[in-house]
Amino acid sequence: MSNLNRNLRKMGNYASLFLVFIGIFLIISEFFVHRHGEIKLEDFPIFPVIYGFSASIFIVVVGIVLRRILMRGEDYYD
Amino acid sequence: MTDITPGLLMIAASGFVPYLPHHFRQIFILIAITLSSVSLAAGDGVHWMINVLGQELILHNADNLTLPFGIIFHIAAALNVIYGWHERRPIEHTAGLAYAGAAIAAVHAGDLITLFIWWEATAITSVFLILASGTERANKAAMRYLLVQVASGVLLLAGACLYWREAGSLTFNFMELGSLGTWLIFMAFGIKAAFPLLNGWLQDSYPEATIIGTVMLSSFTTKLAIYAFARGFAGTEYLIWIGAAMTAFPVFFAVIENDLRRVLAYSLNNQLGFMIVAIGIGTELAINGAVAHAFAHIIYKALLFMSIGSVMYRVGTANATELGGLYKSMPLTMIFCIIGAMSISAFPMFSGFTAKAVIMKAVGYEGLTYVYLILLAASAGVLHHSGIKIPYFTFFSHDSGLRPKEAPINMLIAMAIASIFCIGIGVMPTTFYQILPYNLDYQPYDASHIIGQFQLVIFAMLAFTFLMRFGFYPPEIASTVLNSDWLYRKLMPRIGKPFLTISNKIVVGANKALTSIAMHIIALFLYIFKHPVAGPVAPGPATIALLTLLMSVLLLVNIF
Repeated sequence: MSNLNRNLRKMGNYASLFLVFIGIFLIISEFFVHRHGEIKLEDFPIFPVIYGFSASIFIVVVGIVLRRILMRGEDYYD
Repeated sequence: MTDITPGLLMIAASGFVPYLPHHFRQIFILIAITLSSVSLAAGDGVHWMINVLGQELILHNADNLTLPFGIIFHIAAALNVIYGWHERRPIEHTAGLAYAGAAIAAVHAGDLITLFIWWEATAITSVFLILASGTERANKAAMRYLLVQVASGVLLLAGACLYWREAGSLTFNFMELGSLGTWLIFMAFGIKAAFPLLNGWLQDSYPEATIIGTVMLSSFTTKLAIYAFARGFAGTEYLIWIGAAMTAFPVFFAVIENDLRRVLAYSLNNQLGFMIVAIGIGTELAINGAVAHAFAHIIYKALLFMSIGSVMYRVGTANATELGGLYKSMPLTMIFCIIGAMSISAFPMFSGFTAKAVIMKAVGYEGLTYVYLILLAASAGVLHHSGIKIPYFTFFSHDSGLRPKEAPINMLIAMAIASIFCIGIGVMPTTFYQILPYNLDYQPYDASHIIGQFQLVIFAMLAFTFLMRFGFYPPEIASTVLNSDWLYRKLMPRIGKPFLTISNKIVVGANKALTSIAMHIIALFLYIFKHPVAGPVAPGPATIALLTLLMSVLLLVNIF
């Protein structure tokens, strides 16, 4: 494995860990800050957490399905 | 001096650009843009009107809606000049200056005919940015682009003529959607704004343009359409749903697209959706949101195209499959790219946040729960494909083995300026809101909003990390993803070809049949002439033939 790949892997690990910590902090902060949304549903506790996560998963899953239907070879139009 | 339409000077100046030496040319263009911007100070009102064939054409109309677009178009034009400074060929500089000028002049058109002229001018000037690539592929894409753009212009002209008869005026202002004329105008704008199913041209052509060309293209055409909708169709309810669809669909395509410039073209489309929704709502708050978003979007989108363009300039490709691990070789480009990515993802302290917040507030205020949820999901989607995918696959991911130099200094300067704008708009929303069409008393930075937004983006990022770690994220594959341009690139030829073959066969068959009938008739005549009727007493076969012929002629005459 090249040096750069090792660095990239290390950076990826740190970044993931960092994100998890921020995520935990954000969920905890919900207890201290009264968060209110633009619509009623958004006032539900940790709504953006759940919605942001699940919407992302949904998008990628649809993307994977879409790829099966719409993906063609690189020179499809040539 | 300020009476002259902004942009006109730029169009005129573009005629000299090809004849000037390299560096002097860039300075000349910057001066032309600066002088053109002086006209923005003219203040509200009609400043220049001419009479053509008894019709008043308003060449320069300025108000609270034209000003923000006028300002941002000038800024974008100037940024493009710096970004393209290294380019010695004059073609992009000439076309780019005329194109930006035409877009600015279009914004200041006070009537539909003047709008039509500049509308078409943006198409004709910008096509050279694609042609400048010089490849066979680009030439074909350029012709398709031109066809679509000109079609939009033709619809606009037809609509304008009908609207003139219906409303008795050509003034370009709010139009009630209903008559054929207004629908045609609506469709003309819709093509340029890349509505769902009318969007194929955008993702087809932008990635085929030159590196500088794509950055130029990203700023003007679609945002001109956004301006046109804001002026002509604010509060038209259809736009809410069209816009919502526009935010959603491109997201899925962007996730699986390999060409990063095409990914950005999809995300551009998605961002336009937010603006279209706001225009559909049409309240003062919503229009402010649409304009704020257009303003911020032009800069961060240009910044993203610039950063990917810089990478492409150094390594010759923008395909995710061939990139990766460039953070060490191009660290500054990486930082600018991430600033653009964080802006488009609406991280607090970046421009996307302060702009999008206004639209979301307007949607929430109207109680459009479903639309709100779609936009929120689309925001998470933007984060995925523009916020993470673009920087991740370019600068991190894995070692592609590429070790390019950092981007040229002029590109870095342009990206730095764009980054300053992105952060400036993000941290000084009150100052930014002052250029909007209506008074806006809104503070996006409160603890609740900041926490909520961070929760959304961080957990969307965590979802990406999760999918990546466990190998669920779709790998980048060198491929073509079908888009709505498939309709006219494949489906129409596929239907058209058999249709043409069949109609061709019918025509040839009918031709053959007619010829053979005619030949028979001629043969009959020849026979008659060769066998003249001998006399009144002996009616031979010739007489019978002649009589039959006469009778059939009479019968035919009778029928028709």
